[in-house]
Amino acid sequence: MIRSLAIALCLTAAIPVAGPVAAGVPEAVQDHILPRVETFAIQARALAVNAAADCTAQAVRPSFDNAWDAWLGISHLGFGPLETDGRALAIAFWPDKRGMVASTVAGLLRDADPVVDDPAGFAEVSVAGRGFFALERLLYAEDGSYDRDSYDCRLVQAIAQDLSRMAGEINADWADYAQRLLTAGEAGNTAYLSDKEAAQRLYTALMAGLEFDADQRLGRPLGSFDRPRPERAEARRAGRSLRNLEQSLAALNDLADALSDAPTPVTDAAFAQARAQAQDLQDPVFAMVDDPSGRLKVEIVQQSVRAAQTAVSAEIGTQLGVGSGFNSADGD
Amino acid sequence: MTTRRGFLASLLASAAVPRLSWADAGDPAYLAAAKEPDGQYALFGLSAAGQDVFRIALPGRGHAATAHPSAPEAVAFARRPGTFALVIDCASGTLAHRLEAPEGHHFYGHGAFLDGGAVLCTTENHIDSGEGRIGFWSRSEGYRRIGSIPSGGIGPHEILALPGDVLAVANGGILTHPDHGREKLNLDTMRPNLAYATMQGVTERVELQLDLHQCSIRHLATDGDTLAFAMQWQGDLPDPAPLLGLHRRGGAPVLCQADLAEQLAMEGYAGSVALSGGQVGITSPRGGRAHLFGLDGAFKETLHRTDVCGLAARGHGMIATDGLGGVMRLGADGMTPLTLAPRAWDNHLVRIG
Repeated sequence: MIRSLAIALCLTAAIPVAGPVAAGVPEAVQDHILPRVETFAIQARALAVNAAADCTAQAVRPSFDNAWDAWLGISHLGFGPLETDGRALAIAFWPDKRGMVASTVAGLLRDADPVVDDPAGFAEVSVAGRGFFALERLLYAEDGSYDRDSYDCRLVQAIAQDLSRMAGEINADWADYAQRLLTAGEAGNTAYLSDKEAAQRLYTALMAGLEFDADQRLGRPLGSFDRPRPERAEARRAGRSLRNLEQSLAALNDLADALSDAPTPVTDAAFAQARAQAQDLQDPVFAMVDDPSGRLKVEIVQQSVRAAQTAVSAEIGTQLGVGSGFNSADGD
Repeated sequence: MTTRRGFLASLLASAAVPRLSWADAGDPAYLAAAKEPDGQYALFGLSAAGQDVFRIALPGRGHAATAHPSAPEAVAFARRPGTFALVIDCASGTLAHRLEAPEGHHFYGHGAFLDGGAVLCTTENHIDSGEGRIGFWSRSEGYRRIGSIPSGGIGPHEILALPGDVLAVANGGILTHPDHGREKLNLDTMRPNLAYATMQGVTERVELQLDLHQCSIRHLATDGDTLAFAMQWQGDLPDPAPLLGLHRRGGAPVLCQADLAEQLAMEGYAGSVALSGGQVGITSPRGGRAHLFGLDGAFKETLHRTDVCGLAARGHGMIATDGLGGVMRLGADGMTPLTLAPRAWDNHLVRIG
């Protein structure tokens, strides 16, 4: 038994990926992507329906959290349907170095902009004034809650409705886009010119997702040793910084499982370690980075996420015969 | 003593050498370097349809190639901070000359021909002072070094010959030192510029506003009238800094930006620029996309392609290469694949002639 497994492993390593579609691509599409874009559409719809029924912050927050969790299940798939019309940024505008969400939301509130009553018009509002981070500003406002008949209330409903629209469009678009991935290399497919390109696309999304978690979700609050920046943690107002990281790592772990059809022990162990360490932080907004020992714990999680990147590259990248882009990795 | 036979042979040789044209190399329309599946690097001549015309092995990864305007000669530069460049005879596939940067200098990876191809110009770093230089080399004298001028800034990258033997130089502004590899030593104080020069020296310099001082001006294209310059943002990312500007002599630069989401999606990086048919394009391999603008600076559209980087004019449209081996046509109907080869096309696609 052990011997035949060893032979199978050798064959996997020696023979390049062949066949009509690269191994792992159909699994990633069917088991990972399609169920998740549908879940996001359902949760975003629930958010819009609930906000329409009762727009107060207390009433909206639970479905706001559910929808955001569902978004983190697909936010790493930043190509195709997610980048049409800038959807990914319109859904989650972060990092926001220049405070554009705050200023755009403040501008809408100050002007009591009637665009909230026009869904088509609201779809054209700046990406910084839409999506989860704009909604977070309203649901977790520092100066207290808003009334049912306030402009804030209509803005909450408009943002929720806009999120639901985009989530529905993403779900619908993925039905077509999935075919492009599944027919990679076939005549007439101008998006993916070879089977390997589809695998490369998904592998790159996996690696970029891990990089975003390490560099942005963890890196921004970590700042430097001399100057930690807890105020830069993602979704700090909603107390979701750690939750966003954990949800993202779970989604990336699932994609790694789907993409690989051979054992990936190092990758599995790396994900397990990063996720367990993240859970152990028990600090929803990474406030602990202000304290040297707390900072060290967050840094260790960051190192573990980077270790997962290395493992994915060595095990899954090698198995699929793909790597990071030749030009994107080293330009001039 | 010269024998009759030897004399005739030398006559034949001297008559044969200068007469070759790009037709003798198969009439390629473009030059592009690539990494092949076995890890080797090679320079390819490509037809306008993206088909291979020739393949010449290279000793390592290069940066851009410079094509002589009429003779089938390509100058391939080592990656910065390289100290050599190879003049390749593309008709025979042999090394014609090897250029060594003068002592205390290194090349930045781009060059251009002036005076009908008689003079090669190269962007260089004077290492001790960090001053950018433009070196001049005489082709008829076997690419002998014949002089140099200051480039008007730090870190000159691409250099382009404009009508009237004027040079445009992208002084990227980034100070590097070979002792520190490609480490950037002056990001807080960098101040790139676009310079125009003749062989006598710089005649005009264009700087952007101070808050864009970390927009490194690196690559250039022209239609003979408008000059397009592509930039790379050296500050913290994500940032929607402009990555493309248009300039006409004596005027103020026009900066080109897409909407916020699209601008952020370029990831602060433009790898190549081309100008053709009243449009200007830039590529971002990091963002997996090309952006097209009108010559008035207005954003037109986004074309998606993973790891796309090389970009050049093709008729009234453009042609692009990527790290997956693809050659694509960019036209009014979007991006259409022309060929797919088992190799990774490197940063630049260079149009011949």
